[in-house]
Amino acid sequence: MDHQITTASDFRTTSIPNLYQLDTLLRCHICKDFLKVPVLTPCGHTFCSLCIRTHLNNQPNCPLCLYEFRESLLRSEFLVNEIIQCYTDVRSSLLNALKIQKPITTPGNNKGRNPQDSSLIELTSESENESSNAADDDLQIVATSERKPAKRSMTDILPLSSKPSKRNFAMFRSERIKRKSKSNDQMAQCPICQQFYPLKSLEKTHLDECLTLQSLGKKPNVSPNFIQDSKTQGKETPRLKSQTPEVDRSHSDKTSHVDKYLNSMISAEHQRLPKINFTSMTQSQIKQKLSSLGLSTNGTRQNMIRRYNHYEMIWNSNFCDSLDPVDEAELKRQLLSWDVSHNKTSQNNSTNGGISKLMMMKSIGKSSSYRVLLENFKNDKFNRKGWIIMFRKDFARLIKEAKSKIRTGSPKGSDLAGLINNEDDSREVQSCEGTRRQQMGEEQGTTNKERRGSNEANLPNEDLTDADLSRELMDMNEDGKDPPGND
Amino acid sequence: MSRQEGGCVTKRLQNELLQLLSSATQSISAFPVDDNDLTYWVGYITGPQGTPYSGLKFKISLNFPENYPFHPPKIKFVSPMWHPNVDKSGNICLDILKEKWSAVYNVETILLSLQSLLGEPNNKSPLNAVAAELWDTNMVEYRKKLLACYEEIGDY
Repeated sequence: MDHQITTASDFRTTSIPNLYQLDTLLRCHICKDFLKVPVLTPCGHTFCSLCIRTHLNNQPNCPLCLYEFRESLLRSEFLVNEIIQCYTDVRSSLLNALKIQKPITTPGNNKGRNPQDSSLIELTSESENESSNAADDDLQIVATSERKPAKRSMTDILPLSSKPSKRNFAMFRSERIKRKSKSNDQMAQCPICQQFYPLKSLEKTHLDECLTLQSLGKKPNVSPNFIQDSKTQGKETPRLKSQTPEVDRSHSDKTSHVDKYLNSMISAEHQRLPKINFTSMTQSQIKQKLSSLGLSTNGTRQNMIRRYNHYEMIWNSNFCDSLDPVDEAELKRQLLSWDVSHNKTSQNNSTNGGISKLMMMKSIGKSSSYRVLLENFKNDKFNRKGWIIMFRKDFARLIKEAKSKIRTGSPKGSDLAGLINNEDDSREVQSCEGTRRQQMGEEQGTTNKERRGSNEANLPNEDLTDADLSRELMDMNEDGKDPPGND
Repeated sequence: MSRQEGGCVTKRLQNELLQLLSSATQSISAFPVDDNDLTYWVGYITGPQGTPYSGLKFKISLNFPENYPFHPPKIKFVSPMWHPNVDKSGNICLDILKEKWSAVYNVETILLSLQSLLGEPNNKSPLNAVAAELWDTNMVEYRKKLLACYEEIGDY
């Protein structure tokens, strides 16, 4: 769920600029982001499930080639899904590893670097070719590094530096190094591939590379000159070969996506929701349909149709395309928040609608709807009723507390005096309402009827003024009798 | 699943902005007017070479609806415009901005198609009939008319 905005052109400044094509290809052409739950159209194009379904609700064709097709022909692409997840997992480290850095060399090393050293590398790599484990890749890398002073070249060149590192990287140091000759002091073992590298290059470039390669599932490349290094200095190579556990781990990292792909299947638990032709349906039929799905039936006919269409879309995207679908309650939560922000007329609506919405809120469950409510807490989409219902108990408790304090404050006699004495307590109740009111500015859609409705729930309505509130508090106190001083 | 509709527009527009900034196309540019509101942009296009519009710079406003990219943005010329498919108030008659809109288009493609519209007007259904007629008959006069109504509107 990384919401960072990236573009494919990030790769243009790396040593493999062509990767930008790969990056572009893995993006949805509708949302321009990495494909999320990719689906294939009958015309062969791939989009995010939600993107293309939203598009198909507007017009029944492929946005790329305008081929006409129905939404039921979309097919989930498991492979692409895993490819993209795998890719996005490694993308940032890939970028890092391929970033073209200015050549950072130790001062002593810097001078003679260009002509001699690079040719030296080539020579060594060629001579090492037969005997070393290094694959052709490594040779190519060395070769390219000559042309472009890319990051790799540093790794390759650094070992030739004889300058001992002053820093002490005890962490990376293995005992083996200590046993070796003094020239080995600057070498350190990479914790990932267990290879020995000069400290500097290990720290600067190799660790990144190694991590990237590992997550890509490749065996870390061993630059030929390192092998040469180790060969001349000791018996490192046999140890290299025996070092497999770490590689195994990377292997299992890799296969997690593979396994996921192999085990991918759509659960047949939920049937897809059909497209409904509402034109021939009466209002009550539509309502029936919606309530059979547990959806709110408030708003105009148009609102209900749009609500169904949106629900159908997220339902099908979730249960027909997605590999790890969320449950129905979460879908309803999503629908609710969509409703609130996109299906506006249904907002300030009849009491009838309000009630069914409340029912719906309840059925969704406290935690999820709380999030929805909180999301809109500071704007005018805030669902006051839902909020009141949700905190009914808290409000009731506060009222109770306030009441009990009133009683203790004035055992009998004038309740009004008690109220005044205990102003602070009633303010406590008000303050939670009051802050709401301040933050909200105002929301005037409420009718008196609705006010009654929430009073039924024994709640102070936040539209009440302070006087109203104290009156109401006393109302409760007096058990329905006319409160004194309420003319 | 946090990609819900609401964030969709903003996110897509952020993405487009980044893309537009990183692609170095000299003759077109666009940027949101207000940092807090990504749905209103102002763009500039330069008239293509070899057309009466060459060397002229035009300001354009782009208004993105809530359901962008599934619905096209509203696009108008802010600069006064003399063109067969643009009316006096800057409204543009271009099929891809209306019935031929596709969700895969973006700001860049819109600006590029506007640019090419300058050089290749669709004279079959003109909004400005006089301009359409002059385009076909008298290019010198056309350019004269164009320059008469042209005025450069500066940056933001």
